[in-house]
Amino acid sequence: MNDAGTRTCCVWVPDWPVVVARRTDTALHERAVVVLEPPGSHRSGLVRAASFEARAEGAVPGLRRREAEVRCPGVAVLDADLAAEARVFEVLARAVEVLTPRVELERPGRLSFPTRGPSRYFGGDDALVARVRAAIADAGLGDVPARVGIAGSRFAARLAARRDTVVAPDATREFLDPWPVRVLGDPDLADLLARLGIRTLGAFDALPAPAVLARFGPEGHRAHRLARGLDLRPPVLEPPPPELVETHELDPPAARVDVATFAAKTMADRLLGALAARGLGCTHVLVEAETEHGERLARGWRHDRALTPAALAERVRWQLEGWLGNGAGARDEELVAADAVTGGLTLLRLVPEEVVPATGRQLGFWGGDAATADRAARTFARVQGLLGPDAVVSPVVQGGRTPGERVRWVPWGEPRAATADVAAPWPGAIPSPAPARVLEPPVPAEVLDDDGTPVRVSARGDASGEPAMVRSGALPGGGGPVVAWTGPWVHDVRWWDGRARRREARWQVVVRADGVDVACLVALGRGRATVEAVYD
Amino acid sequence: MFGTVIPVALAALPRRDDAAREHLDNVARRARPVVFAHERTIPVDTGIGDLLPWRGVQRGTVVAVDGPRGAGATTVALQLAAAVTAAGEWAAAVDPDTSLGGLAAAETGVDVERFAVVRGVAPARWVEVVGALLDGVALVVAGVPAGVRAGEARRLVGRTRERGAVLVALGPWPVEAAVRLRAGGGRWRGLGRGEGLLTGRALDVSVVAHGAAVRSRELHVEPYARAG
Repeated sequence: MNDAGTRTCCVWVPDWPVVVARRTDTALHERAVVVLEPPGSHRSGLVRAASFEARAEGAVPGLRRREAEVRCPGVAVLDADLAAEARVFEVLARAVEVLTPRVELERPGRLSFPTRGPSRYFGGDDALVARVRAAIADAGLGDVPARVGIAGSRFAARLAARRDTVVAPDATREFLDPWPVRVLGDPDLADLLARLGIRTLGAFDALPAPAVLARFGPEGHRAHRLARGLDLRPPVLEPPPPELVETHELDPPAARVDVATFAAKTMADRLLGALAARGLGCTHVLVEAETEHGERLARGWRHDRALTPAALAERVRWQLEGWLGNGAGARDEELVAADAVTGGLTLLRLVPEEVVPATGRQLGFWGGDAATADRAARTFARVQGLLGPDAVVSPVVQGGRTPGERVRWVPWGEPRAATADVAAPWPGAIPSPAPARVLEPPVPAEVLDDDGTPVRVSARGDASGEPAMVRSGALPGGGGPVVAWTGPWVHDVRWWDGRARRREARWQVVVRADGVDVACLVALGRGRATVEAVYD
Repeated sequence: MFGTVIPVALAALPRRDDAAREHLDNVARRARPVVFAHERTIPVDTGIGDLLPWRGVQRGTVVAVDGPRGAGATTVALQLAAAVTAAGEWAAAVDPDTSLGGLAAAETGVDVERFAVVRGVAPARWVEVVGALLDGVALVVAGVPAGVRAGEARRLVGRTRERGAVLVALGPWPVEAAVRLRAGGGRWRGLGRGEGLLTGRALDVSVVAHGAAVRSRELHVEPYARAG
């Protein structure tokens, strides 16, 4: 079996959303621009793409809008126009398609194609790159900052495109070696590898493949293949069965993107459902369409991992935008006019080009068995059903001074967020170890000094005497003599609030109660002494 | 793995052929359907593990932990919960008097993301709640309220065995238990007369375990070894 990667050419336009935005508004050419994620997505409000000028000021993708504005004052902030991004990219894809029929789109902004045929035809890789550049320049999009790279695998070509370079046929591994493991696109794995001292693809590549599979599972194996300059070869080599092709006739013909997209959504669900029933996932899908005037359109979309129904529907929508992009919001009439479809779509077809075995959900690395977690979650939900949602709680450690403040009890199933910063300084905090019993409410106590008078704490935090005896119902035998103590720690609680303000003093004491040395936390506040916690 | 078994004709096997006998024993061991208790052990790596038979807790058994308040019973129970969550399993606690220290749990090593506490359970519903939890998690630390009847407790013992869970009964457990731990207090370290801070203690724990080699012994456990 020929296991080498496919020599691939990758065309990448950095910050495609910015390029698209600048096309429609030429005033943006001289300005720093950031484009936000579309509303409704889970990353909504974050920066999706930033122009070179904005990046230079530190406004990089992933920031919040406000943060980007702070770092780069005067930046133009735009909302993403996904439809336009897809539509304009289709023009570019068509320009490249003149050179080779096997163009695969990965997302708006990036496409790739195998170079074997076209490279030989045009007289070598460098000549091919020149052709691709010329084709993009002539596409009518103006000056697109496209980068073109060729290397011995799809993944390597993507990195080559970042460098805008052609990697010699036998130099792919040498080219990959110095890249950091981050580029594998799996932050968790990259983090783990870095902690194990494996910082570059070369170092990762040097590990034996079976050991990688055993230690890091299928995801690690996948990344390892990428690092070695191999493609993610589908182990299923026969073409997908023809009955899996999903066809939908549109009657009346769909001239608008949203109408066709609606049909595509169900098709995506059905297609992936049928594949899943056979234990397969799809990584490369062909979107085909026919129009009422007999035109036939086809375009392949590739995805790194098995497509989810949502991801597939999104790609089909992008493609439909490219074909039918004359709907609402289209501002590029002259582009669409060139060789766009002339009528509505009558037929839509999704063909799974490449299928892989569905590996299912990856289980947690440290034995976080999903089945056990499910069972536990069901059980806790059942107890919540019996006793009410607040009866089942889970501790979240947070910042604070007293053992009670240091923990927030979160009802099971609610987000585990701490309300007070752990890392912040908490002067006067009771140090570790923490008491195993925190009494809510605190149990009344008596703290007496040698003379048998209650110990008081002055406004300046001085105790009137040494605690010699603690009596409380919280202690075995009702309390006893103090063996050892430290304190008092004085806290001015909520000193900024006239009404809620109170002064508290705390001692750590060891009391010999009923023959056992019991350590506890005794508090004195508002003239009352209490046992707050017992170190059990 | 199983490729080394060579079929041997039994009729031709001499009684004193030790090598062949051993071989047969090996075959029998592989084919044995019985799972012994120590094979269903969740290892306990903290100090308390030294006291336990097979250095761990057996699934399907009850561990009773008792002792006067302040003598360290809660710490012992939390150490067992910590061992279970460290093994990737889930743990729960039933805390009728709503006083279990969450921070202490975290400091003892309990993975709090896999740990839930049921608070304020009325005594009348205690058996029901503990039973429900035994269905779903590997270990339940159940604070035993006063007045639990022996019949109810036995039902929980059966449920524990059936579900392969571990029930840590914290308090006066009226019926039998595979392991009984009794915390007897101990000397606190770090605290003087008006100076220092609590840093740890040498905890006296006595163990009674039937069906195992350890009958009863006392050992000093540093409960806060992890706390630093």
